Amino acid sequence: MKVLESTPNRYDRGICILTLGRLDKTYDRLASHIREGQRVLDLGCGTGALTLRAAQKGARVKGIDINAQMLDIARKRVAEANLVPNIELLEMGVAELGSEKSESYDAVMAGLCFSELTEDELTYTLREIKRILKPEGLLLIGDEVRPKGTSRLILNWLIRFPLVIITYLLTQTTTNAVKNLPEKIEEAGFVIDSVTLSKIGNFIELVVSKPQGGAN
Amino acid sequence: MNLVRFLAVNIVGTLLRVLPFPCKTGLVKIGNPDRNSPVLLTCNYHLTVERVKRALRGINAYLLLANSRGINVWCASAGGLFTNHDVISVLKTSGIEELVDRRDLILPQLAATGVESKVIGEKTGWKVYWGPVRANDIPAFIKDKCQKSPEMREIDFPFMQRIEMAVAWAFSISVILTLFTIPLWREAVFPLIFLVWALSLLIFVSFPLYSRWLGPEGKRMGFILFDFGRGGFQLILWGVVILSLIIYSIAAGDFRWGFILRWGFVTSIIVVLLSIDLMGSTPVYKSGLHEDRLLRIILDEKKCKGAALCEGVCPRNCYEVDRDRHIATIPGASRCVQCGACIVQCPLDALYFKSPKGGIITPEAVRRYKLNLIGRRLVKVEGR
Repeated sequence: MKVLESTPNRYDRGICILTLGRLDKTYDRLASHIREGQRVLDLGCGTGALTLRAAQKGARVKGIDINAQMLDIARKRVAEANLVPNIELLEMGVAELGSEKSESYDAVMAGLCFSELTEDELTYTLREIKRILKPEGLLLIGDEVRPKGTSRLILNWLIRFPLVIITYLLTQTTTNAVKNLPEKIEEAGFVIDSVTLSKIGNFIELVVSKPQGGAN
Repeated sequence: MNLVRFLAVNIVGTLLRVLPFPCKTGLVKIGNPDRNSPVLLTCNYHLTVERVKRALRGINAYLLLANSRGINVWCASAGGLFTNHDVISVLKTSGIEELVDRRDLILPQLAATGVESKVIGEKTGWKVYWGPVRANDIPAFIKDKCQKSPEMREIDFPFMQRIEMAVAWAFSISVILTLFTIPLWREAVFPLIFLVWALSLLIFVSFPLYSRWLGPEGKRMGFILFDFGRGGFQLILWGVVILSLIIYSIAAGDFRWGFILRWGFVTSIIVVLLSIDLMGSTPVYKSGLHEDRLLRIILDEKKCKGAALCEGVCPRNCYEVDRDRHIATIPGASRCVQCGACIVQCPLDALYFKSPKGGIITPEAVRRYKLNLIGRRLVKVEGR
């Protein structure tokens, strides 16, 4: 069954079409918040787009993903970029974040990760991120969201529908937009520092921080 | 109300069987479960979920729905879309750990090709019990304290399932054909739909009559039409159709060669479409389309200690375990559909695949890349 074939080698291209190429710039902006020597966790690191950017800033990065084939590609890219000492890549899901130490990270990044999660997983992940972040630590998000307002929803659907079809035919990949992401983040006890929405409101860039003394 | 939903999901799910059909993941309570009730887990394919819920009527249990991307258990786990991670995730994020005291989890047996009981145990502390193949056997399985009879382990292709397959193919092919014929050849739409459904039902209903000629060995790709051995079942079927066309036109008193030729051509296409990967459309044979993936299961007798996990997860009852000599044998190897479940679960790595060209696919490769990627990985694996 063609539908079933995991296609990591085509993933990057697929996502590039789906997001109309805006992802690279988003990732650059998100990585600009990373400082040298910081400890960073990249959730759903995939082929390593955000992991590499953060490591280039001089951070020590741990990238986790559940897709072994994606991680194979990420490892190759890490080796090519000569960043092996700074990067640890693990096949691990967000549900295993319980094994990470509390307040051990300066920043957590999630590029197109939350849109892959179920509702239960998202709630759990936000709670765990809050636990493992140091006070004033950052949560950096770039993801697809469900636009608000009927006209935007329809516009988004019209633009997205052909893109989804093309992308699916070429790469058999797709994503599901997240509903009410900023609200869910605030509910989890984070403070949103900045929100950048795309024009149609279907892509969000979020810089979020854990309040001081807000460790549960 | 439940019955209406059950029927609706069954009808839609059967017609659109070739497409994923997801439902919400997470925890579902069946009856009034308490802290000692059994915990079962299945995929989030809507049709499966409705059938499992129905099978569990009258039982108090927790049902966890893991994210298999709306695909059924067997396809999703063999295709790498229903993995350890999805099971771990629903155990950790659904809140089930606060609701029960024991850490016993019943998984569908067919998930054994993608989910490793050992990893689940190590990472979560939950002990995996491989449940029966069919949801209807779950109550008996629970009553028997997680014991399975050989019948409960074995996949077959009974009448109702064959009808479902026939309907799934007939519906999707008639939708596509209708889209093409409406602008091009309108008067043929209804005869075509009739033919598609009739032939599809004929092919799948009569399956037991010809299945003994279907062979597990590879066939040359050029002959996918004659997908099974010396068979040529499609030719026979097509001959029957032509014969009935001739009889029909003579009986109608209006015999014309043009009519026979035109409909003979159309029916040949339909027969080919419907039976192009007949073996792959059944759960009891491996698809004949990818000859290079027709792998053979090999047991390394030096490593085998008779742990018998293979016997418990094999959906074709290929294994026999000698419990005195502590060793497994594979007397039913010819029935193997190469699902890989035994290789994935074997705690001693005593099983592996051998490709037609002699290459070896290690347990590690099967676990890591799942079945659908092995085909692509073969070149690399063989090159070592």
